[in-house]
Amino acid sequence: MTKHMEKERNTWEIGGKTLNSRMFIGSALYPSPAIMEASIKASKAEVVTVSLRRQGVNRDAGEGFWKIIRDLGVEVLPNTAGCHSAKEAITIAQMAREVFGTHWIKLEVIGDQYNLQPDPYETVEAAKVLVKKGFEVFPYTTDDLVVAKKLVDAGCKILMPWGSPIGSGKGLMNPYNLKAIREAFPDMPLIIDAGIGKPSHAIEAMELGYDGILLNSAVALAQDPAAMAKAFAMAVEAGRTGYEAGAMQEREFASPSTPTVGTPFWHHEK
Amino acid sequence: MMIKISVNGEIKEVSENLNVKELIQALEYKTKGFAVAVNTTFVAIDSYEKTIIRYGDTIDILSPVQGG
Repeated sequence: MTKHMEKERNTWEIGGKTLNSRMFIGSALYPSPAIMEASIKASKAEVVTVSLRRQGVNRDAGEGFWKIIRDLGVEVLPNTAGCHSAKEAITIAQMAREVFGTHWIKLEVIGDQYNLQPDPYETVEAAKVLVKKGFEVFPYTTDDLVVAKKLVDAGCKILMPWGSPIGSGKGLMNPYNLKAIREAFPDMPLIIDAGIGKPSHAIEAMELGYDGILLNSAVALAQDPAAMAKAFAMAVEAGRTGYEAGAMQEREFASPSTPTVGTPFWHHEK
Repeated sequence: MMIKISVNGEIKEVSENLNVKELIQALEYKTKGFAVAVNTTFVAIDSYEKTIIRYGDTIDILSPVQGG
């Protein structure tokens, strides 16, 4: 295989863009802007999530942060974090489109403050409106198959079910449900968003056949964020390559891997 | 006459009949990258001049921040 073919094989498409990396990374919670920048680079992620907030009138108001992200040359995926209704999310999405110059939006409408579980009713409602307004909606949702179907009915071409609650680092709480979503939408880009804590969780997500992962806390809150970002980059690649290679069938009993024909010595000497 | 409005959660007194463009100038808002909502409804840049700020309006001016 030539290098060119190898590259072709490894690219994938989402939201009208061709990407190499299957990891999306958040820009929040890092110990410093420099560590954020180093971690994003080490992750090899080509998509970085960002947000919008009120800032003081006379301050630099996000300009320093935004410059670092712009200079990295990555795709930005603005979120609607903190919204509790479809109306709020629609307003933030429109503001984000103007500020960041992208029609991509990570739609996040929270229904419960304790576990930051998305509100399915408001999320579907907002998705309907945003798709009509020309947005590429990346909906953050639970692992509920029926909600996933409603989002697709609303016009979403991408789904982002959670592994577990945001920032919990608990990994994939319900692989069965995630598998069901994968099987229901074999051709749709699916990203596991939220809950990933360790590289092994990322491998598991990729082995389920998910197209990518989105994480933030797992890297930003690691002892060494840039090193953890690198570990995740390798995990995502390992998981994807393993998925594409096709895992063996699990078996209930042991089966020797070394040939039994010609086994020497004692077994035959009774 | 001055009117009271809320800007990013703070009460401000500004001249009446300002449009959004004039309001941003009056507030001396220095950043380039921001977007505006009036009473939680998005106001696009090309609507700044035709959107007049009224007494009691709630203005949100949002800028890029880190996000997950």
